[in-house]
Amino acid sequence: MNWILLTPELTLLLAAALFLVLACLKPDPRRDYQLAVTMAAFAVAAATACATMSGDLFNHVYRVDLFSQVFKALLAIGFFLVIFLCDDFQGVAPSHHGEGYFLLAVCTLSMMMLASAVHLLAIVLALELSSYSLYILVFLRQDHRWGMITGLRYFLVGASASAIMLFGLAIIYGVTGAVHIDMLIQQLPAMMGHPMAVTGLLLTLAGFFFKLAVFPFHFWAPEAYQGAPNQVAAFIAAVSKVAAVAILLRMISMAQGNSDQLARGLIAMAVISMTVGNLAAIAQRDFKRLMAFSSVAHAGYLLLGMLCMTPAGYGAAMFYGGAVLIMKYTCFMVMVRVADDGRNLQIDELAGLHRRSPLLALALMMALFSLAGIPPTIGFVGKLMIFVAAMQKGYLVLVLVAMANVVVSLYYYLLVLKAAYLDEPAQVLPSISLTMPARLVAVAMIALIVGLGFYPTTLLDLVQAAVLRLP
Amino acid sequence: MAYQLADFPFLTTLLLCCVAGLLAILATPAKHTRAIKIVSAVFSGLTLVISIYLFIAYDQQAGGYQFVERVAWIPALGIAYFNGVDGFALPMLLLTGIVFFTAVLTCWEMELRVKEFFALIFLLVTGVFGLFMSLDLFFIFVWFDVSLFPMYLLIAIWGSTRKEYGAMKLTLYLLAGSALILPAIVYLVVHSGAMTFDLLVLMEGDRFTPAQQRIAFLLLYIGFGILAGVFPFHTWSPVGHVAAPTAVSMIHAGVLMKIGAFGILRVGIFLCPEGWQYWAPLMAVLATCGIVYGTFVGLNQTDLKYVIGYSSVAHMGIVGLGLSTMTIDGLNGAVFQMFAHGIMTALFFSSVGYIYDRTHTKAIAELGGLSRIMPRATTFFILAALTGIGVPCLASFWGELVVFMSCVRVYPVAGALAIGALAVGALFMLRVVQKTCYGPPLKKFAGLKDITATLAVPRIILASVIVLFGLFPGLLFDMINTATMQLIGLR
Repeated sequence: MNWILLTPELTLLLAAALFLVLACLKPDPRRDYQLAVTMAAFAVAAATACATMSGDLFNHVYRVDLFSQVFKALLAIGFFLVIFLCDDFQGVAPSHHGEGYFLLAVCTLSMMMLASAVHLLAIVLALELSSYSLYILVFLRQDHRWGMITGLRYFLVGASASAIMLFGLAIIYGVTGAVHIDMLIQQLPAMMGHPMAVTGLLLTLAGFFFKLAVFPFHFWAPEAYQGAPNQVAAFIAAVSKVAAVAILLRMISMAQGNSDQLARGLIAMAVISMTVGNLAAIAQRDFKRLMAFSSVAHAGYLLLGMLCMTPAGYGAAMFYGGAVLIMKYTCFMVMVRVADDGRNLQIDELAGLHRRSPLLALALMMALFSLAGIPPTIGFVGKLMIFVAAMQKGYLVLVLVAMANVVVSLYYYLLVLKAAYLDEPAQVLPSISLTMPARLVAVAMIALIVGLGFYPTTLLDLVQAAVLRLP
Repeated sequence: MAYQLADFPFLTTLLLCCVAGLLAILATPAKHTRAIKIVSAVFSGLTLVISIYLFIAYDQQAGGYQFVERVAWIPALGIAYFNGVDGFALPMLLLTGIVFFTAVLTCWEMELRVKEFFALIFLLVTGVFGLFMSLDLFFIFVWFDVSLFPMYLLIAIWGSTRKEYGAMKLTLYLLAGSALILPAIVYLVVHSGAMTFDLLVLMEGDRFTPAQQRIAFLLLYIGFGILAGVFPFHTWSPVGHVAAPTAVSMIHAGVLMKIGAFGILRVGIFLCPEGWQYWAPLMAVLATCGIVYGTFVGLNQTDLKYVIGYSSVAHMGIVGLGLSTMTIDGLNGAVFQMFAHGIMTALFFSSVGYIYDRTHTKAIAELGGLSRIMPRATTFFILAALTGIGVPCLASFWGELVVFMSCVRVYPVAGALAIGALAVGALFMLRVVQKTCYGPPLKKFAGLKDITATLAVPRIILASVIVLFGLFPGLLFDMINTATMQLIGLR
């Protein structure tokens, strides 16, 4: 057994263990934060170092290949960035910071496992582990009223989604008699004409659609985002989507493009997701709720790439998953900095941001334009790739619908931008002071959004090589 | 199509001038407004010099694409950084250079958030230059959007009359246009049988079936047409122009609307000649509607900027009419009219902007007798109005004349309607001039100052360009003709 392959996971496990112990000791927010950032940096280093490794572990239950390693690197980077935002983890009581880091580490660990798992039981295990850490993370909010209501709702919807998924897995097992993805890949495509197989696969996907917040499994998203501590909301919006993309790609690629029925189901979900997400977002006044509905819409775009069931489509979805991580994180970073006491930020409260912090305002503008898919940003390249893949399958109408949605989404992104750049606050607010590292991260995010928008070649080659590992 | 790579990357240098200007502005502290304006003037002047050089240095005997640069950009998708100019692009580059430089000089007096303003203008113009010189569909789309999205902030922050409404309407309309262009481009690329965004490769051979060309051309025509102010997608344009500050109106009506028409030509007509043929009657009908509608709605306006806004709709209709004739003359006239209208409308907006800055009103009814109070300012205004109605020896005349000559032959009814509408429009424009400039001078405006030497410079440049190309239209027609012959010869 080659333990080197597991380095990123082991690093996170170590971090989790460390914070499990620290959570039992006397809390010291400063020390905890510095430790957490250090451990997260180690995780990023480990995940990038292991990016090109490959091999099978634990009797072929766990597969390490370029596909899983690229996702792990993205997850580790997202983990680091979110931890970095926790410098004054407002919104969570100081005595619970240790638990917060512990749960974030466990959640990232389980998401990494999700990216590598190729056995249905291992997938269920990893998914449940990540879901349960997130449920508790939402509960951690200092303001108990918010935390309790939304945490409970999140938990109930999530548990039902898990139940539906387990039912679907049982059906798949019943039809094929297989629990390993390699076996399923051999048997499923031939059976895709069988209604039971399609039902099973769709029900299974439901569990992952819940994570990605695809219609009709999106109802938890606005409440959970609103009720969770801001950093946790950033984690759900940015990092957990990456894991959802990874596992959805694994599951959808099992059918090997052999099913029109599956494609039709996914098309309907993608179209409704984008439309519902974008239309609902228009009415939002709370920044996190708006981001939640925009996540629903982005889940639709991601699904559009996946349902092409071609390597180009998978690559596009993977690229866009990385783009979502960067764009959403940047938006939440701005929010965390503006709402420095951990409150829920209203869009109106962004007023005068261009004067209070030109850097944050610029970062927000670039992130919003990127979310709206305006070039030259990473969001545009991602959308272009998805559209090219969809067009190759002949989905002209679908692309037009998606573009119409982009225009709708532009309206509410512009309203946010208007608040930040045009509106003046009722009373004069002090400028927002950022530490040097915080400035660096903000500049790095802007550079990534624009840089990868202008020159995405390296990343594109990487994802295209990675999706070749899928059947 | 054969082309030679350039020895020196003039086109990239042109883009780099804009980028360097942008960076220099960002590096200058916001309180040194004077320094920012000087930096802007220097770099925009440089772009003008380069675009004049390119116009003169282009070898008209050889024709084709010159000053070509090509670097593979995203090989996986067949995208290249591919620039080159022909007889269509060069007049547009020259137009952009002139309008850009004069627009920067026009806002010499501006004091509100100067740094951000000039930074956004530079960003916008980078996109415009990029679009006119690009021969790769990916970059054409990227530059298209780069030139659009600064508009929102430019209008919403520095504008006037209903600025937030105007800015939002304009942005959503134009990006709805880009929402049709992107699918059309992707559609063409995917169905070409070669995974490439290279415009020249896509033009070779019969890559697209007539049915595909019809779909793609319609999407491209409407998508770019929204920006070109094609009736009935023009409603953003008067509202946006009125709301925008002077320099932005100049660039927007002068250059950005041309991007729309240029896009129809460069992407639509170049790639889908059969789609062009199929939809040409529709283009002619919509263009005629635009001319008649723009003129008659313009009759009813009480706001000076609205008058110009609707006259832009009518004039861009002439461009559309020229493109719809599918003749050599029609194309030549359309491109000439794009250039002439750009210069004319820039002069128009800069004169009205000056009058508005002094009198604080754009209402025609409240103005009067300005020629006694500020004779120099009104001279420019009257010159622009005369150009607009197509007086001979001024640039617009030639574009309109050539378009109408070819149009009467191809679509006699449309041609007659358009000419009739313009004649009525001319009468009305003269009424506006009479009302605002002549008559007894109003007491409340008596103490206002006339245009100073500094502020006169940009207007003199624009006026002399109008007269130059009005007296020597051949300078421009010969250039455009090289590209037209090549395009028609290909078919």
